[in-house]
Amino acid sequence: MMLSKRSFLTGALGGMALAGLPSETWAQSAGSGGGTLVIGSSQVPRHFNGAVQSGIATALPSSQIFASPLRFDESWNPQPYLAKSWEIAADGLSVTLKLVDDAVFHDGKPVTSDDVAFSVMAIKENHPFKTMLAAVDKVETPDPKIAVIKLAHPHPALLLAMSPALMPILPKHIYGDGQDIKTHPANLKPIGSGPYKFTEYKQGDYYTLEKFDKFFIPGRPKLDKIVVRLISDPNALLVSTERGEIHAAPFIAGVRDIERLEKSQNLVVTDKGFTGIGALNWLAFNTRKKPLDDVRVRQAIAYAANRDFIVKKLMGGKAKPATGPIAPGSPLDEANVEQYKFDLEKARKLLDEAGLKPGADGMRVTLTIDYIPGADEQQRNVAEYLRSALKRVGLNLEVRAAPDFPTWAQRVSNYDFDMTMDNVYNWGDPVIGVDRTYLSSNIRKGIIWSNTQQYSNPKVDDILAKAAVETAPDKRKALYSEFQKIVVEDVPIYFINATPYYNAFAKGLGGLPTTIWGVASPLDELYWATPPKI
Amino acid sequence: MSTVEQTLIVPRTEASNVKTAANAAAPGTTTMRVQPVARALSPARAALRQFLRSPSGVAGAILLLALILATIFGPMLYPIDPLEIVGLPFSPPDADALLGTDYLGRDVLAGLIHGGRATMTVGAVAALITIVIGVSVGALSGFFGGWIDSLLVKISEFFQVLPPLLFAMVLVTLFGPRLTTITIAIGAVSWTSAARLTRAEFMRLRDLDFIKASRAAGAGNWHLIMRVVLPNALPPIIVSATLAIGVAILFEGGLSFLGLGDPNTMSWGLMIGQNRNYVLDAWWAVTFPGAAIFLAVLAVSLVGDGINDAVNPRLRRR
Repeated sequence: MMLSKRSFLTGALGGMALAGLPSETWAQSAGSGGGTLVIGSSQVPRHFNGAVQSGIATALPSSQIFASPLRFDESWNPQPYLAKSWEIAADGLSVTLKLVDDAVFHDGKPVTSDDVAFSVMAIKENHPFKTMLAAVDKVETPDPKIAVIKLAHPHPALLLAMSPALMPILPKHIYGDGQDIKTHPANLKPIGSGPYKFTEYKQGDYYTLEKFDKFFIPGRPKLDKIVVRLISDPNALLVSTERGEIHAAPFIAGVRDIERLEKSQNLVVTDKGFTGIGALNWLAFNTRKKPLDDVRVRQAIAYAANRDFIVKKLMGGKAKPATGPIAPGSPLDEANVEQYKFDLEKARKLLDEAGLKPGADGMRVTLTIDYIPGADEQQRNVAEYLRSALKRVGLNLEVRAAPDFPTWAQRVSNYDFDMTMDNVYNWGDPVIGVDRTYLSSNIRKGIIWSNTQQYSNPKVDDILAKAAVETAPDKRKALYSEFQKIVVEDVPIYFINATPYYNAFAKGLGGLPTTIWGVASPLDELYWATPPKI
Repeated sequence: MSTVEQTLIVPRTEASNVKTAANAAAPGTTTMRVQPVARALSPARAALRQFLRSPSGVAGAILLLALILATIFGPMLYPIDPLEIVGLPFSPPDADALLGTDYLGRDVLAGLIHGGRATMTVGAVAALITIVIGVSVGALSGFFGGWIDSLLVKISEFFQVLPPLLFAMVLVTLFGPRLTTITIAIGAVSWTSAARLTRAEFMRLRDLDFIKASRAAGAGNWHLIMRVVLPNALPPIIVSATLAIGVAILFEGGLSFLGLGDPNTMSWGLMIGQNRNYVLDAWWAVTFPGAAIFLAVLAVSLVGDGINDAVNPRLRRR
């Protein structure tokens, strides 16, 4: 009795703090036990259907609204979710999913294997990550609760591809009406089988999710309601978080912002929950443009840049160094690769050998460096640092500022660059997010985050092809280790650091999302241990 | 139009013109106007004397001179590359870096000294562009009137209704953030006030008797504009040119603040724009270039005011 009264107060007061929200949406949260969570995000979703849209803005709500066959824990182990069990055939060519019995969609219709089959094929067809489900031939449905995914070749990445952010199970009775799924009206009024049902979206302002009473995991979700406020001004977002108007601020990337939030008494700031996404910050080379087509020049640049200084001094020690194409924290990460320890003499020698002799002014050649606008700390500052660092070995860098993201993407995807800073996500399995950067078959002009380095090494192509179908985990790991060593040796990219993403949560929250997917995973365990007193 | 003003203006007319006019026109009218020539042969010196009498103008001139000298000779005396990382990021002012280092570990003092050169150059060149465009447009439109006037006024109205900072942002975004683009963009968006001023002066002057006299003496349009009307219209234009320098410096700061500065050339605006996110960590990296811009703009404004006082006849008589 005492408890419910307290939560009632919390809900009501929480509502008052959020001026501008219609008051009747708050009345419902009062009474029952769970309370309301307010998330602040600068990422505005185009819509809520993660089956046809990648990116964090959509992944966060999509994973709350839709359930997926599997979910993952903190150490990359698959856990049952919509599928109570799964079985990979000995030949690796089929995966059998047994669905939980009592799962229903938010409109009351049961979740069947038909929905799974429909969703898998829809994602294969429409999701931007083409390699994710490319191996899927078809999905058989011998029983309403059994789905068998048939593969053209073994596809070990499939397990991670069944994560909440990547494989939302859509209701066939809604999306199967013949309309294009990418522009389906239900994408903005989604119905899924996840822990929270969608209630309201005020474009660019906020959206609300409410507890789904018939969620198939008993006793969950623990919260009554989630409000996601979309705040485009990062400073306003920080202030609201400090003042407790926002209880969760995911994806804080600025070192100063992180330090500022860490000082707050009422917040828990953690870097857990990002290994799945595996964001890397790096310097990419146009490997077909002179003089960067010479591997010695690229290696020289790697030796002349001081990764230690960048990570420890420029990024205030908040970022982890990255030495290879697979993000630190992944079980496939190979740490034993060439480190390119800061060595100016070696860099000068390599440049001399490559025939780039210093001119009268000590300069050998002028190169341009681009960076993604908007992310100053990770991108611009490092580019400016590199200009200063490479000058010491006689390389003149001209920093090219792009006024906006499309301009930068246009330049890089059309190979109109010498080098560029870039920020690319691993997305769990290498087949999903890593291969695209190195496969020579993915040199696709005009497409950003394809192999824009135009890096081509038949051996790498071969290893990646083998690793993609290798089902024995240790053999697969060995292949990826070899791949990482070769790529680091060839330097199509100089790896700098893992993007320092942090989540800030109000201290009173329990069951924080610290799995590999963090907030891009159902928040059904999150609860108020001590509800906020505003 | 007061007669005092007219008589004062006449001395600026070239002596040769006056003579030609005197020979051609009726002697009665001209002699009256020629008389003051004898009284004050050097209006520039009179203006200078007047300028020196205004303490704020002199203070501004000294400050401006000091800043110009610092930007010319400073880089030789303090040859540290402002883009070079010389220490740890966010080092407070100490013996190694007198004004501290910024977020990358670059020397703030070096940035101030070397950046001043870029900022002052942008200010001066952009002001020059402003004045050249503004005076040309204003002179043609004020002198000829008629359809030329309406056309040029329409054009300058078009530029006037565009918010200047936004328009400059568009130009810099289109052509890339380089110092030359930025300078041209600033000039291109701020010439309209100079044009309006010049047009008004030309319209006022063109029907005065001594101009008519010159014309009657056979002076062509080009000659009239350049050698007769313009010298008489010059005082307010000089004042507005001086003020335009200050405006251009602020403009450069504003563009850099919005992230449209040239990242390859250190300037005061760029220092503020890039360091503003870190103002709580390193106040010195923002404060010193901010103070420098403040002083530079203050200096040119004081000088502008001083010149205005010196050449404005109504004030001079007070």
